[in-house]
Amino acid sequence: MSIEVKDLHFRYGGVVALDGVTMSLGQGAVGLLGPNGAGKSTLLRILLGFLAPGRGEGRVLGYDIRREQAMIRRSVGYMPESDCFIAGMDAVTFTAYFGELSGMPRREAMKRAHEVLFYVGLGESRYRLLDTYSAGMKQRLKLAQALVHDPRILFLDEPTSSLDPTGRAEVLDLIRDIASHKSIQVILSSHILDDIESICASVVILDKGKVAAEGRMEDLRAIRYSLYEVRVKGDGAAFRRALESRGCRVDVTEDRLIKVYMPEGSDRMDLFRAAVQTGVQLRAFVKSRTSLEDLFAGVVGAD
Amino acid sequence: MAVIREKGYAHWDGRLAERRCRWAPIARTGIRLAFRKKGFKFVFAGAFLPSFFALAGLYVSERLGDFKALVQSNRNLLEIDPRYFKAVFTNGSFLFLLILVLAYGTAGLVSDDIKHGSLQLYFARPLGKKDYAAGKMAVVAFFVLMAAALPGLLLVAFKLVFAGSLAFLRAYPWLPLSVLGYAALLTVFFGSYVLLISASSRNARYAAVLVFGAYYFSAVLAALLKSVFGTPAMNLFSIPANIGQAGAVLFGQKPPLAVPAVWSFAALAGVCALAAAVLGRKIRGVEVIK
Repeated sequence: MSIEVKDLHFRYGGVVALDGVTMSLGQGAVGLLGPNGAGKSTLLRILLGFLAPGRGEGRVLGYDIRREQAMIRRSVGYMPESDCFIAGMDAVTFTAYFGELSGMPRREAMKRAHEVLFYVGLGESRYRLLDTYSAGMKQRLKLAQALVHDPRILFLDEPTSSLDPTGRAEVLDLIRDIASHKSIQVILSSHILDDIESICASVVILDKGKVAAEGRMEDLRAIRYSLYEVRVKGDGAAFRRALESRGCRVDVTEDRLIKVYMPEGSDRMDLFRAAVQTGVQLRAFVKSRTSLEDLFAGVVGAD
Repeated sequence: MAVIREKGYAHWDGRLAERRCRWAPIARTGIRLAFRKKGFKFVFAGAFLPSFFALAGLYVSERLGDFKALVQSNRNLLEIDPRYFKAVFTNGSFLFLLILVLAYGTAGLVSDDIKHGSLQLYFARPLGKKDYAAGKMAVVAFFVLMAAALPGLLLVAFKLVFAGSLAFLRAYPWLPLSVLGYAALLTVFFGSYVLLISASSRNARYAAVLVFGAYYFSAVLAALLKSVFGTPAMNLFSIPANIGQAGAVLFGQKPPLAVPAVWSFAALAGVCALAAAVLGRKIRGVEVIK
């Protein structure tokens, strides 16, 4: 396991940010998903040693998060959520500077800075002052400085925030490329479901400082519930109530498509029984593949 | 915007080194960034003006016969001894120019990092708070030592060259150490003072004004308190007075204030201690709002 944490607790004054988080992350891209304030950024900051957990323990690449922070930081690249740059510097100096601070020899750091800046698409503007960069360029720059020392794990905290759709797609494309081909494990923290779904093989869903769900995307989709999409003719409200009384969660979309989340172990014939009981005709019945959005709604309880 | 992956990603095949001086890149970059500021080179060069005048005085002192008419009324000023060095390096104009260099070149050292959120990038590297603070302190140290220690030692050397003998050094063998000791005092004090103010503000310009303002405000405050309470101990509130007092001791001269010199050292050390406490709180990878 590349990252293991056990019973992590952290609070900001009276606000509980992490409440007994225990998880193990293996190889491949992993998504940290949760609504704002769920504790995703706090978890990353604890893993990097910025914050000391009140209780609990953890290891990143086998290094203790309390005692071996320097070793962790040598092996990890971190792309923070907020804007960060050094005024008066150009991109290549900035990237080389942080490479050097990671322990790279000065010349190597400069050479490598050019490479990663070309990789993230800032090759042409690498000598421009950072003060003049757009939001999208700053986002790429943050990725470049996280990659410059060729880390084994990349922590990306909301990497697509403040980007326009084109910029977002480009950055996601870049992260996908890193995650799939470059033997760098990507830990992607985001509240944007699509970002996680398009890149990550596994996901940890955090809610109110606790792990609400964890595992491979496919497994999570399968084990929690089955999703059926149905259309009915007749009293839809009664049909819905009948399903809910059988332990199902029912959502109705704007175009009157009924999404039925049947809990693990339920019999899908219950759906037909409910139709018979309420006298509605089933006009469409499809077993649907659950999306991360469905999973998220299921575990966090948000629509 | 350029297309992504123009050249493709490649792993780096080197090895990360365990550096002994992890603060060195921070210091080097800080100095370089200061020199990139518009007009900074001019301001920095200005800090050497008192030393140039001192050098001229030194030359004249060795050629008194040639400059008789010029120095008739100021003859005692041109007696080159530790008092001359103390006068050069503790006088108002030298300290004014030094403060100007520090305010312009180094006030943003920490405040810029706080403002632009780059502290988290520093601490995502194998750096500790001490490495960061040492790197920033080294930037201030560079400018102070360049303005105080280097000219001081060069003046001693020129005195020997102009005199053509080692008599001056035989008379005051401890003078180079005094110069270095005084420069070290200025370095530690101004390093702490500038970083304290820089860490207290997110705005580099505001910090620059504070670096300059707090220094002179302390002198005004001390004068006010002295006139109210009528005790010379109030001079301890004045940074320039304390530096003058400490400088006099280090150059083996009579302290100008009517308070024990150790109090002035204690006052300067107090500022350093305050700086250490503030930096300990302000320098962190993440801003924790409780």
